[in-house]
Amino acid sequence: MTRLIFAKILAACLFLACLVGGGLEMRGLRTYKESLVKGPGVTGTGRLSDYLPALKGSWGDTNLYFLDSGKPGGTALILGGTHPNEPSSIVAAFVLVEQALPEAGKLIVIPHYNRSGSTATQPMGAYPQFISIKTGWGEQKFRMGDRLANPLDQWPDPEVYVHYPSRQMLSNVDMRNVNRTWPGRADGALAERIGAAAMELIRREKVDFVVDTHGAELLYPVTNCIVAPDQGASIAQLAALDLTATEFEVHVEPSPAKFRGVSHREIADHSEAVPFLLESPDPFLDQPTGPKTEALELDGKDEFLLAAARRGLLFTDYDEKGKSMEERAGRHISVSRQLAAQWSLFNPERIVAFSCPGYAEFVANGLGPYFRDPAAAPEGSVVLE
Amino acid sequence: MFTHVAILLAAMAAAFALAKLAKLSTELSILAMALVGALAAGQGIPLRHLAEGSVAYLDICLIFVTATLFMNVVKEAGGIDYLVRKVFIRFHKRRAVLLVILMLLMLIPGALTGAGSVSVLVVGGTVALVLRGLGLKDEHVAAMVFLLAGLSAVAPPVNIWAMITTAGTAIPYVGFELPLGIPVLALGLFVTFYYGMRGEARDLGSVLATMPEPPAGMRAWRVGAPFLLLAAFIAVPRIWPFALPTLGLPIGFAASGFLAWALSPRKIDILRLSRETMDQLLPLLGTCIIVGILLQVMTLNGVRGLLSLSIISLPTVAIFLLLPVAMPLSEGILTFGGAAVFGIPLIWTLNSIGLNPVPALSGLSLLWMLGDALPPTALIGRLTVQSTGYAGRYWSFVKSCWLPWLVITLTGTLMVVFSKQLGALVL
Repeated sequence: MTRLIFAKILAACLFLACLVGGGLEMRGLRTYKESLVKGPGVTGTGRLSDYLPALKGSWGDTNLYFLDSGKPGGTALILGGTHPNEPSSIVAAFVLVEQALPEAGKLIVIPHYNRSGSTATQPMGAYPQFISIKTGWGEQKFRMGDRLANPLDQWPDPEVYVHYPSRQMLSNVDMRNVNRTWPGRADGALAERIGAAAMELIRREKVDFVVDTHGAELLYPVTNCIVAPDQGASIAQLAALDLTATEFEVHVEPSPAKFRGVSHREIADHSEAVPFLLESPDPFLDQPTGPKTEALELDGKDEFLLAAARRGLLFTDYDEKGKSMEERAGRHISVSRQLAAQWSLFNPERIVAFSCPGYAEFVANGLGPYFRDPAAAPEGSVVLE
Repeated sequence: MFTHVAILLAAMAAAFALAKLAKLSTELSILAMALVGALAAGQGIPLRHLAEGSVAYLDICLIFVTATLFMNVVKEAGGIDYLVRKVFIRFHKRRAVLLVILMLLMLIPGALTGAGSVSVLVVGGTVALVLRGLGLKDEHVAAMVFLLAGLSAVAPPVNIWAMITTAGTAIPYVGFELPLGIPVLALGLFVTFYYGMRGEARDLGSVLATMPEPPAGMRAWRVGAPFLLLAAFIAVPRIWPFALPTLGLPIGFAASGFLAWALSPRKIDILRLSRETMDQLLPLLGTCIIVGILLQVMTLNGVRGLLSLSIISLPTVAIFLLLPVAMPLSEGILTFGGAAVFGIPLIWTLNSIGLNPVPALSGLSLLWMLGDALPPTALIGRLTVQSTGYAGRYWSFVKSCWLPWLVITLTGTLMVVFSKQLGALVL
């Protein structure tokens, strides 16, 4: 056998191994379903396609959870998983559905706003496929997805993405970024249809304010903050002041008027609702980190980032304790609670109030106690996400 | 962790060196580097990561395949021979005008697609034939085609390096028209006249005698129609972005290739031509696939993070001094991945010291484009050699780029350093 033939056989074997082995692993992520137990606050469920039938049967369709207090008031929409590679937002949304108790008005929670994106990891990102949180009954396992919609569901990308309706040009891959496709297009690409469906939900359910939860790099100036348009600036400022005085530092960033397609800009410009985008610092997302592991996502400890912090390169505090999932998911819930409180002060006729464990409880007890055991849950209360 | 990751980096570099010593190709040497990086990190052979990294540049690979097949069909049909003769007959006495037309021809495809490779593949061969007719030396022809193709990738409206970085830094991709357009046009004219005015034009008769005769029946409309169709595929989504679903550039090239095949006055065996096209592109496609794998493994084992940290940790002056070397090298090793690994943290760092990210990123793009001539990938450099028929030593043509290289480097670096003052260009 010549060396060339041997090399070709070797290459073919490696190719087949990658195709089958890698393909099976990817299929495992695509088909994995997370278990979510509807908590006592949940009064109804729905699908995003209820607001845009064109989404039905697609990977853009996703579950909605209604937590209605039965008392008059306003409505808040909380989005988790806009960017599935920022999983603290998904973890927080799960805890809200399992633990939150509405006290006035109504909450609508979407744990996987970008369900398609949660079914694939990012090429060159070297992400773990799953993260698991230890609980008293076993492990609560989550998919670790990509920032963008899965190319299996929306492809090819254009050479340049022209945002609807502003016609602003954005990076071509951002056409699969559901936080660049607001306010959406009912007959557009999948990510645009998701935006259009969510806008219809906001209008039909008379949503008063929207909280879009995210993770952000520590090297990114817009981290540790609430991004708000002018309409929500006072509410965000008061919430930030209160939280900074009592629990953790958070500040407010204004929503840039020229940056199109993002929730904090387009929801404000195309509906009556007031949007807030929350960024909690997630070390996993930064470029200068060590290996991209599940542990890094969960505990947020990284020596490279620590070195960067010592050189003053980060835009938030960072030390040996890292930035744990408990802190990050807890921030989302505590900030959302505080935004609801401030909203209610400004809008007494549209009060939204709910109780739910947040930052202080997660940091003290870990996240485990706040996930319900699907095996012990009442019949009909387990939903596969 | 620093020591551990540094050892991994050293092991990967050693694997590359050993593979090259064993006379393995560049692509296989990079694969060896990636496999050693994964094994040494205790990841075994990470099949999913290898598979995932290998498709990172799938879209670019599809453009390479369909664009090259399109141009090969046009060439085989005799369209290129016809076009070159006509252009040369019409403009051979007006050298400066001809040079500016050639420059614009080179800049447009890359400006619209963001890929200098598309400029080389679509018009590089034709432009090279005309330049030879103008008496330019072979290495100057290759140098001019390479540099204009690189500048076309930098030119607005589509600049992939800037788009990757803005997407990763949540900076809107707006206001780049002048910071990208002005230097590209100025440098394009410099490159064009630096090389273009050197040769001694041969007389028309002798040039035409050396050019192949186009087949009987070849007409302007037969050559033009496929290019018009391609132009429509590129222009329509920009003019009416919400009227059609996204088809993608590969479909545009494939449809235009089909039209060129249907209109050809010669019978073309499309299966044979497709096989030859794949043979021609195999090294390039291999590079794109392997670089994706390498980046994935570097992220998996932390080497990417170490390199990224090393750059942004430097004092600002050191960053400025290092840019002219580090940016082209990062492009040479990682192609567009350099923008993701270094561009994103670098822009945040520069932004935090008060520099304007738009001119800064425009300057960085000028530095990245130079790296497309550098090994191990040498993406546009290798395509240039293929498309222009340059038969000399690779480094001879790269060396002949030295003065424009220096001017582009200075321009790019100064644009980063003075990006704050250039903020007025951002409209």
